[in-house]
Amino acid sequence: MEEKEITVNIKKYNDKDGAFWKSYKLKADKYTQMTEVLRRIKSEQDPTLAYRASCHMAVCGSCSMKINGVPSLACRTIALQAVDEKNEINVESMDYYPGVRDLITDIDGFYDKIYKVMPRLIADESVLMGENEQRMTPENQTEVWKFQECIYCGLCVSACPSVKEDEKFLGPAAHAKGFRFIDDVRDTKKQERIDLLMDSAYRCTSCYMCYEVCPQDVQPVIAIKKTKNYLDQSRSDTPVTIMARKHDDTIVNLIETTGKIKESTLFLKTFGFGEAMRDAIDMLKSGKFKYAFEKDSNVKNMNEIKKMMGDKK
Amino acid sequence: MEKKEYDAVILGGGLAGLMAANIVAAAGFSVAVVSKVFPTRSHSAAAEGGIAAYIMGNSDPNDDPDFMSYDEVKGGDYLVDQDAAELLSKKSGEIVNLLDAWGAPFNRQPDGRIALRYFGGQTYPRTRFIADKTGMALLHTLFEHSTGFKNIEYYNEYYVLDIVREGDNVNGLVAMEMKTLNPIYLKSRALLIASGGIGMMYKHTTNSYINTGDGHGIALRSGVALKDPEFVQFHPTGLYPSDILISEAARAEGAILINNKGERFMAKYAPHKFDLAPRDIVSRSMTIEIREGRGFEGGYLGLDLRHLGKKYIMERLALAYDAAKNFSGVDASEEMIPVRPAQHYFMGGIDVDTTGTNHDLNGIFSAGESACVSVHGANRLGSNSLLETVVYGRETGNTMVEFLKSHKNVETNSNVEPIIDAAYAYIKRETGEHFGILTEELRDVMWDNVGIFRDNDKLAEAVKKIKDLRVRAKTMYVTDKTSNYNTELFNALETRNMLDVAYTMATAALNRTETRGAHFRDDFPTRDDKNWMKHTVTYLAGDEVKISYKPVTYTRWKPEARVY
Repeated sequence: MEEKEITVNIKKYNDKDGAFWKSYKLKADKYTQMTEVLRRIKSEQDPTLAYRASCHMAVCGSCSMKINGVPSLACRTIALQAVDEKNEINVESMDYYPGVRDLITDIDGFYDKIYKVMPRLIADESVLMGENEQRMTPENQTEVWKFQECIYCGLCVSACPSVKEDEKFLGPAAHAKGFRFIDDVRDTKKQERIDLLMDSAYRCTSCYMCYEVCPQDVQPVIAIKKTKNYLDQSRSDTPVTIMARKHDDTIVNLIETTGKIKESTLFLKTFGFGEAMRDAIDMLKSGKFKYAFEKDSNVKNMNEIKKMMGDKK
Repeated sequence: MEKKEYDAVILGGGLAGLMAANIVAAAGFSVAVVSKVFPTRSHSAAAEGGIAAYIMGNSDPNDDPDFMSYDEVKGGDYLVDQDAAELLSKKSGEIVNLLDAWGAPFNRQPDGRIALRYFGGQTYPRTRFIADKTGMALLHTLFEHSTGFKNIEYYNEYYVLDIVREGDNVNGLVAMEMKTLNPIYLKSRALLIASGGIGMMYKHTTNSYINTGDGHGIALRSGVALKDPEFVQFHPTGLYPSDILISEAARAEGAILINNKGERFMAKYAPHKFDLAPRDIVSRSMTIEIREGRGFEGGYLGLDLRHLGKKYIMERLALAYDAAKNFSGVDASEEMIPVRPAQHYFMGGIDVDTTGTNHDLNGIFSAGESACVSVHGANRLGSNSLLETVVYGRETGNTMVEFLKSHKNVETNSNVEPIIDAAYAYIKRETGEHFGILTEELRDVMWDNVGIFRDNDKLAEAVKKIKDLRVRAKTMYVTDKTSNYNTELFNALETRNMLDVAYTMATAALNRTETRGAHFRDDFPTRDDKNWMKHTVTYLAGDEVKISYKPVTYTRWKPEARVY
């Protein structure tokens, strides 16, 4: 099989020397996975190289790292597809998590967030005693499985800007896990789960980074959006969910009365007069204040809108 | 040195270990689960196709547990302990229902009941599945269930060094925190070894990098026997060239194997079951095809899924499709997937009875791939490894609960310093052999000489080679002198374990002068029930492997010719 020489630049790290780059040359063919590249570097050139890897088929989630700056699973990355025009490839540890050694990071914080969402099915007692069987439609199974496919690799959290800024945000993976149980007809704790997740769900900015980096196509941001759909059923209000309710109510109200989402009204009603004034000062400073009063006419055929909104209810 | 005391220590956070942990914890005992990886990274996650189960009222109307046991006994070429097989079949339905109750999202039939499909060697379809990531889904289910217990403590990324013995009793184990290299003594009266398989000692394997026979190695060194270690399964469809597993589910769903002449060659070797004959038979047939020049260039055969259609493939075989696409650049809906056999499963293992108890040392239990309950005999059927992990994980958990009720922890602390010194010696040594070279040589000799086709010369050479490697390993050293997640040290310790286990495997294979299941001897090509209807029991005594035998347990099925 045809082989090409590649240069692998690895950002190494240890407690004594800190971080430094080291380059390795080796031959790869068109099938060589990055996990195999790392194994060969370790076995043939640098036995001190530290990284995690287990299944090498993208089901165990061990080999999370940054390859050419992109959060990736090493096993899912084919070396020759990832090299640049000089046949070089850069490998670093994941962002956000504290470094431990070379490509190994401490992701205990990631696990802790998952433990917070009661990540286990609580079936009916009669089912656990074997007195009743559980049924589940194929459609429900398909949706549950979609969010259950998370492999705990941690890439979504390393790429999530909200997690870095907001320690009360549980992060994408924990939300996918949490929603998977909300959605499961066999579970008996739906209400508790909705209450548990709602505040955090509204801390997501819907930036879709988790959607981009997830190697299993779990789409955590979609799980978060689907969780938000249960806002009306949530019993545990926090400042975040109260604002979310105002936001949702205002949107419904605006559409019912004007047929449109009017941004300035929505802003004022959601954040309140005080917050809006503070922002108005910022807007004045940046010369954007004039946009707040742009004329925005109502939809003409309001009857059609009312009919549609009526249907929805 | 840090010391902690528990009722039970469980080595391994895969399906068998976690099932037992859930059972022992539910009975109120304290449990420590020790694993060199976070539990969901365990090799159970890599199991794809499914879990066999006869579920009353949700199976083929003609099926019953006896047919299932018969399939296991015949599939294992009559080296199966039939009481063990019957227990496995009888409890298969309730264990699947339990997993469902704990949240496993099994694929469903339109009426909401659990779906099923055919797998190799089954008289009737029995395999339950979660897409083609059944192992991963079940592993996550058991791990997630365990997060509800406060009396289970996880020692994730801790590497086991050795078992602590006090007389004839277990007194815990010594492990090392990988991040810091700090040793810890975990004292307990019950120790479950559920550490999985040995695949990394073969050049071509579908196993994870972590499958290095650690549990087998520490067991051998503390005087515990391995049973039937000559029996190693080679899976027919390892993806070429990465050896990633393409599930048997592909053939179960209708894929066929094709040689370079375009022939469905399995018709010749298994005229009734074709591509779904047991794995030992298919792997041998494929090797013959390749050897006789009917493979494709590079040494592989074609697995043809094209007639299934893309939609069906994506629904039922998404992982196989993705693997072929990502790792071999093949679109399975348009081209054949290139496959060849690769090491897959270790039928042999720690000698236990149907309660999961080992009788060499008080307080040692084993379950899952690391154990040999003798449900798989000389060849395991597909979908039965997941089943074994959970059925015998639970049986063993229950046995441990009874044991814990009637026993107390050993009062004295054992001297564990020699265990720690032996590990640190690799770091202290400045010159010698390097693990990388020893491992590569071992992987080559095991693949070439203790592989799909064996004979006296190959096996004798393998034994000699492994003896030599074990001598060289005494001077093994690591270049990394830090205590900062020193993975090189753990690789060296893994090599030590692999060499000890390989030594018993090659010796037992040389000793068994017959062909049975996955153990095929070119020089003894037939089954010899008169002399060899017995289990091999191997002990490691210093530099010698001591072999003795145990009878096979029969209940109702007499040996007959194994035709598919």
